[in-house]
Amino acid sequence: MKRILFALVLLASVAGCEVNENLGASAPKKERPTVNVPAALRQSNWRGPQGQGSCVHASMISLFRWQYRLKTADHWQRTYGDGEYPEDLAAKFNQEGIRYAYVTNGDVRFLEWACRTRRGCGITVMGGAHMVALVHLDDKWAAILDNNNVEKFIWVPRETLIAEWKASYGWAVTPIYAPAAPLPQ
Amino acid sequence: MNKLFLSVLCLLAVFAAVAPCLADTVNGVLAEERIVNLPQDQGKWYVSVVGNATDPRYNEIVGWFDINASLKKLKNQVHFCLVTSDTAIYQARYAGNVKGLPTVRMQKADGTVVYEAAGKNLPMTAAGLNGALAGAVSTAQGIRPILPWRRDMERRCPGPCPNPQPNPLPQPDPEPQPIDDNGPPNVDPEPQADLPPWGVALICLAGVLVGVSSGYGRKLYAKLNSPVK
Repeated sequence: MKRILFALVLLASVAGCEVNENLGASAPKKERPTVNVPAALRQSNWRGPQGQGSCVHASMISLFRWQYRLKTADHWQRTYGDGEYPEDLAAKFNQEGIRYAYVTNGDVRFLEWACRTRRGCGITVMGGAHMVALVHLDDKWAAILDNNNVEKFIWVPRETLIAEWKASYGWAVTPIYAPAAPLPQ
Repeated sequence: MNKLFLSVLCLLAVFAAVAPCLADTVNGVLAEERIVNLPQDQGKWYVSVVGNATDPRYNEIVGWFDINASLKKLKNQVHFCLVTSDTAIYQARYAGNVKGLPTVRMQKADGTVVYEAAGKNLPMTAAGLNGALAGAVSTAQGIRPILPWRRDMERRCPGPCPNPQPNPLPQPDPEPQPIDDNGPPNVDPEPQADLPPWGVALICLAGVLVGVSSGYGRKLYAKLNSPVK
């Protein structure tokens, strides 16, 4: 009986052990989310001159700041506001000489590229009524920064986010400059 | 005959209208044609120059990346980040991990620091900084530095050389780096001055002269100042 009890205790203690994968001393810890926009750089949504929300501009301003275009971000905030359409935003970017890329066809490769290169992008949600910043996309998870609540990142399963985006006209847009350097490893 | 001709024309018109749609369709959705060359630069390294915007030393170092040809070349091969201490991004991502200001830090795409120097540890010249960065890149990539006798040979090799021209238009933010798919940078090794053979002979001769004269001087000193007994 004692032996059985001893074996059970031993089994229980072993079952609780967590086996950590040894990645080696030099394996860098990946920053999550990939586009880890600091709180001070996050732009909240605001009402434009016509009383509309400025979610597209707010998302772009957060991304401008992340990509070190601080003066561009300030200029954008002073100059633009209200709701936005893809073609109109593209025209504004062209007019201001901004380097950018966008899709309106729900091509997921664009989102993967934006997160892989650590730039992030604005994506439409809520049936196209709102834009948030996509700050992470891996094979399981996505994270967004919602300009209506910039306190925290919102994590959702990858497929859920992609389905939501595709059902919202599949518009994604981002400036193309150097992203903030990763935290030192 | 006319009817046949007309029907052939109609068929051709139908095909002409359908073919481009098929060509543009990717995974069932109509592809945007605007996005054709997205930079696949996820492997690019980062160089951050961090400091106080009013510090002359910081501004001097920033200027090196426009004046020194090798540093200018490097600047266009990496994500070049100018960070001043009065910005929120400095407070959030640098203030806690720099050893002093100004700082020059080079990182791999995954964040691994391959070179970092701050304050008085920074090289005094642009050439010195370039040499230090070149050494760090070689060490990080496990590459031996190019030996002096091979340097000219390397330079003689033909190859495409990016030659970015400065944009004269005024920009409120610094000029962005060119868009490309670059990975790790290729930093020019700093050429070291090789001593010519006559220089070596001159140094040897000087050494002999110093040795002889110091020996003679010692003898003369001993002769003039007899030891106290």
